[in-house]
Amino acid sequence: MSYWIDQGKVDALKYTFPYLKVYKYKDVVSVEIDTKHLKDFLTFLKEDPAYSFRMFIDFTVVDHYPSTPRFEAVYILFSPHYKQRIIVKSWIEGDSLPTATDLWKGAKWAEREAWDMFGIKFDGHENLVRIFLWEGYPYFPLRKDFPKEGIKEVYLPSLNERENIPSHDYDPYHTPIPTLEDLEKTQKRRIDKKNQIVLNWGPLHPGTHGTIWFMFDMEGETIKECDIILGQLHRGIEKLAEDLTYTQVIPYTDRMDYISAICSNVTYVNAVEKLLGVDPPEKAKWIRTMLCELQRINSHLLWLGTTALDLGALTMFLYTFREREKLMDIIEGIAGIRLNSSFMRIGGVRYDLPEGAIDIVEKFIEDFPSRVRDYEDLLTKNRIWMKRNREVGIVSEEDVYQYGLTGVMARSAGVPYDIRYIQPTDAYAEVDFEIPLGTIGDAYDRYLIRIEEMKQSVKIVHQCVDRLKRMKNDRYVATDNPYVLPTLQETYLSIESMVKDFNLRIYGEQAPLGEVYLSGENPRGELGFYIVSKGEGKPYRLRIRSGAFYNLQAFPELIRGKTVADAVALLGSIDPVVGETDR
Amino acid sequence: MAVKTNSGIILATVEEVLSWGRKNSLWPVSVGLACCAIEMMHTAASRFDTDRLGIIFRGSPRQSDVLIVAGTVVNKVAPMLKLIYDQMPEPKWVISMGGCASAGGPFPTYATLQGVDRIIPVDVYIPGCPPTPQALLWGILQLQKKIKEKKEGKEFKEIPIRVPTESKPIQK
Repeated sequence: MSYWIDQGKVDALKYTFPYLKVYKYKDVVSVEIDTKHLKDFLTFLKEDPAYSFRMFIDFTVVDHYPSTPRFEAVYILFSPHYKQRIIVKSWIEGDSLPTATDLWKGAKWAEREAWDMFGIKFDGHENLVRIFLWEGYPYFPLRKDFPKEGIKEVYLPSLNERENIPSHDYDPYHTPIPTLEDLEKTQKRRIDKKNQIVLNWGPLHPGTHGTIWFMFDMEGETIKECDIILGQLHRGIEKLAEDLTYTQVIPYTDRMDYISAICSNVTYVNAVEKLLGVDPPEKAKWIRTMLCELQRINSHLLWLGTTALDLGALTMFLYTFREREKLMDIIEGIAGIRLNSSFMRIGGVRYDLPEGAIDIVEKFIEDFPSRVRDYEDLLTKNRIWMKRNREVGIVSEEDVYQYGLTGVMARSAGVPYDIRYIQPTDAYAEVDFEIPLGTIGDAYDRYLIRIEEMKQSVKIVHQCVDRLKRMKNDRYVATDNPYVLPTLQETYLSIESMVKDFNLRIYGEQAPLGEVYLSGENPRGELGFYIVSKGEGKPYRLRIRSGAFYNLQAFPELIRGKTVADAVALLGSIDPVVGETDR
Repeated sequence: MAVKTNSGIILATVEEVLSWGRKNSLWPVSVGLACCAIEMMHTAASRFDTDRLGIIFRGSPRQSDVLIVAGTVVNKVAPMLKLIYDQMPEPKWVISMGGCASAGGPFPTYATLQGVDRIIPVDVYIPGCPPTPQALLWGILQLQKKIKEKKEGKEFKEIPIRVPTESKPIQK
């Protein structure tokens, strides 16, 4: 079953819009339209019942410097009714584009990001401000003519004495750093004080799950307006990726969403494999699925511990971290590193499973359901927990489509949007599991869904363990493919492998011309990679569609009229990771 | 530090007693920036349990004396981190946890601060990406040693770093 719009519909579209250009790479369908007709076309796609692309997935810009016109806008849309996707592209004449925020509210932050990174203006956008950098920052960093190191113009040497330690490339000059006045200006541009007090929450507050900066315009105890400043962890991963080979990007993907590193790895590797046309061996697929689900349990445990800690239940934090330590040990035993493991490779995995790994995973999943029962005994019927979580942040089905909410946020509203089911990658097509759905869409529903998901993950891991037991000596990486790095053993033993290894490491995987969008079900929502290749060893543009970024966008609307105490519970139930929202 | 006599009296200078007290009750600010913060949480949680070393994470900089810079410091958050450092009462120490905080790590980009020591002075650098909880504990113990030896008037001996003299950086 294809997950992209089918040929018949594309032909019908071409009949209605004769100036439409259609591109196809593998099964990814993208259509190109001129800027004048773009808005009508998007409205048609959204409103027409034969297409009904109601769900907003992503918007981004690609810079084709030095050709003119220079910028290309890219919309990715999803039709919940037909379970199909489409990419709409348009060349931007000049530097402005009509806004899509009146069609989808989710476009608001994406367009701010395009302004911040590329300097594209949007006519009709309600408040076009910089999202990741601060007001007064003079450059647009993702443009191709901007150097990735930035422009070093401030003298900022180390405060520590470094007399006898000649660091290899220590530069006393540094990129500009904002002053507190700059940040105040940034804050003032976001929110106008209309009520009693503007309360700042974050960015370095332990309750904000990282470094998110919230501003509440409050009347007494009630929040009337809210806005969020992101970018306190914007490290420029998308810019960095344009200068690295496809394999070298893998370590950056696990530093993005550091709580579920393996899931991000797998999604990225799958996207690149689709671009290159590599098919990993069966065993690697099952190892990936097993590790993904273990990582999902790991991530949900961290969510449970920290959210409960924020709401006053310290015991949960200690309980869940005990289980997390066990999982981290399992991952360390298999991958070699505890947190950011970088275990996946294009065409397979880094190592074979070590001896005893299956037994220890089996032991863990036998023991784990009783632990989940303990958590449920402590929380599910707990009166304080119910009072804090019920009726907080109710998400409706329309919100899901408008904001492009994914993951647990979408499922709590009753929308069965799960990438593992819509477009199964790896071994997900062969395993049996259920998708829990919410009925009300509040924070309590999301808690119940996450607990149920942990149980379902255990079920999937059981099936993976059964299968992997029968695959003891199978291959774990498809090294016969010209794009796959040979193993260390092969490199040492044969000259062909050594030459191949050298070529791939120095010149990168020479990908064919094309573009690919592939997403995976992260614990935080849909994590997608949109890769544009121009036939080089590096990605020309790597766009990361972050689930947490879009989920967090619904926060200001959901919190309106509630209290600050609810903000803590709501943020906990959205569960963003700043590494992924800011990238 | 002290002279024990049979009568149960311990003699020490006030400075020594203070430093002994300080090193055994290091209270860090609970500020997490990125991946390293997860490992910092693990260090404080069930298995590694820093409470037994007198290390209790505090929510306010006014109550704490150690700043563990756990994670990537980007340009936008740098002034706010400095504000937190300025709000801490003296004496105070800084631990730079991980590659990003120490020297920018794998992010040599326009947005990232290349080493937190450009805005605040650092006492202990911990290598790793991210450092394991054991490494963070090692860093904390190293800081305790430093506090103790400084107050006794001895110079804290740094671990010597071997630098290759011949090799040159790769020219692009």
